[in-house]
Amino acid sequence: MIDALQYEFMRNAVLAAVFASLIFGIIGSFVVVNRLVFLAGGIAHAAYGGIGIAFFFGIPYIYGTIGVSLAAAFLMTAVAIKAKERSDIFIGVLWAVGMAMGVILLDLTPGYHSDLMSYLFGSILAVPAADIWWMCALGGITLIVTVAFYRDILAISYDAEFAKLRGVPVNLLYFIFIALVAVSIVFIIRMVGLILVIALLTIPPYIAEKFARSLMMMMVLSVLFSLIFNLTGLWISYSYDLTSGATIIMVAAAGFFLSLGVRFAASRIKKWRKKSAHRAAGA
Amino acid sequence: MTNNDPIIQVRDLSFSYSGEPALSNISFDIAEKEFLAIIGPNGGGKSTLVKLMLGLLEPDSGRITIHGRSPRKMAHLFGYVPQDVNINIHFPVSVMDVVLMGRLRHRGRRGIHREDRQKAMESMQMMGVAGFKNRTIKDLSAGQRERVFIARALAADPEILILDEPTASVDTGGKTELYHLLGKLNETKTVIVVSHDLMIISSYVKSVACVNRSLHYHHHNEITETMIEMGYQCPVELIAHGQPHRILKTHGDR
Repeated sequence: MIDALQYEFMRNAVLAAVFASLIFGIIGSFVVVNRLVFLAGGIAHAAYGGIGIAFFFGIPYIYGTIGVSLAAAFLMTAVAIKAKERSDIFIGVLWAVGMAMGVILLDLTPGYHSDLMSYLFGSILAVPAADIWWMCALGGITLIVTVAFYRDILAISYDAEFAKLRGVPVNLLYFIFIALVAVSIVFIIRMVGLILVIALLTIPPYIAEKFARSLMMMMVLSVLFSLIFNLTGLWISYSYDLTSGATIIMVAAAGFFLSLGVRFAASRIKKWRKKSAHRAAGA
Repeated sequence: MTNNDPIIQVRDLSFSYSGEPALSNISFDIAEKEFLAIIGPNGGGKSTLVKLMLGLLEPDSGRITIHGRSPRKMAHLFGYVPQDVNINIHFPVSVMDVVLMGRLRHRGRRGIHREDRQKAMESMQMMGVAGFKNRTIKDLSAGQRERVFIARALAADPEILILDEPTASVDTGGKTELYHLLGKLNETKTVIVVSHDLMIISSYVKSVACVNRSLHYHHHNEITETMIEMGYQCPVELIAHGQPHRILKTHGDR
């Protein structure tokens, strides 16, 4: 691994993994505690339309996907605020329309699109240096917003109605965070592809949630888990020449099942201890 | 009835959910230091009325004023305990942090200060949950969570305390204790309790509002035949409580 760092693409990949972990850990925690997983999935797939637009009009991929994923995210959030009960259907429609639009626009674009697979499954090894700067900036913004509004974010996520009553600008903060979710997703697509976005966004926070005693702790833990999964996945994919996105996801999934096992064992031991304490007291 | 100006005025209030009327043409006043029980059948509009008073919903027509101003401007006067204290039950948050939410934007300030922690501690002590302050919310029983939510509502020392079905997850002993506490809080605050538990009426309540799309306001803590007919599951509980006086009056004689 160390000698691999002499290659620029490898250094970029490691940096991408580090910044990505920071962003996904925080944003993913927000997504999980607010039950926005479906919305995040919708944004990710609608963003495929942005890839189509970028290819068709010959503009840089990043602008196409960020533009479309932001637009989709705002539409979905507006509907979720206005008509909560039906928002899942609307998200489902945008999800499909975005993908269909991407496919059709690519059909209409002349030429052979060799690296389309990389948008579906991602390739962290091909992350360009420019993306690293984007991610560094995004990580900084995410961190600042989260620290500055931590109490508000906590209140909104736990009980939005009460937060509103206390004068917290609930909808504004919601939009800001959804925007961060949308932009983050564009970069996750780069790394692990849009098919696997949801896994990387949700697995680390899900594991962290079970061990954390506060939202802050959950965010810190999911950044750490995410970092472990990303770097381990990257190392394995480099060593065995495997597709990086899929490898990272498999490592995350292994971590997920490991955490389930640990929790199961812990609850068993607790029960067993209680029982034997009971028996000792009875004797 | 107290002689003060009303703290809450409701005039010709109507509200509907996508065309389905939930409340129609409601008018009443709530006096300062009132202890009002809002009762009525499920789906009768009790919680909707509360959310309108809090400014969380906007009326279709009519208006609500708190000290003569719109509810949204006066939201800081309210301490609110929502109906469902089991929302987000697996959320990683400590009891202290939940109670501190009651101090958010207190007097427009941002951030948490020492005074906020102090006030949070005081209201937790009042509710007997100070010993749990570092536990996460999922490690509590439903009754304990209820107390934490009341502590949260009290943390900003509200002028008006509104509780939506506070006894739903509390056992009978806990209920008596809770009513006693609300009675004590009523010495300094206006208290509004939504309930379909008639037991509350007997003890500390000063007036009763029956809500079932329309509203009937009773300026006494009487229990009328209509109230019972409005659909409480538990006249049994009433009898068990040994209600000493049951004044049976019909609506409209007041």
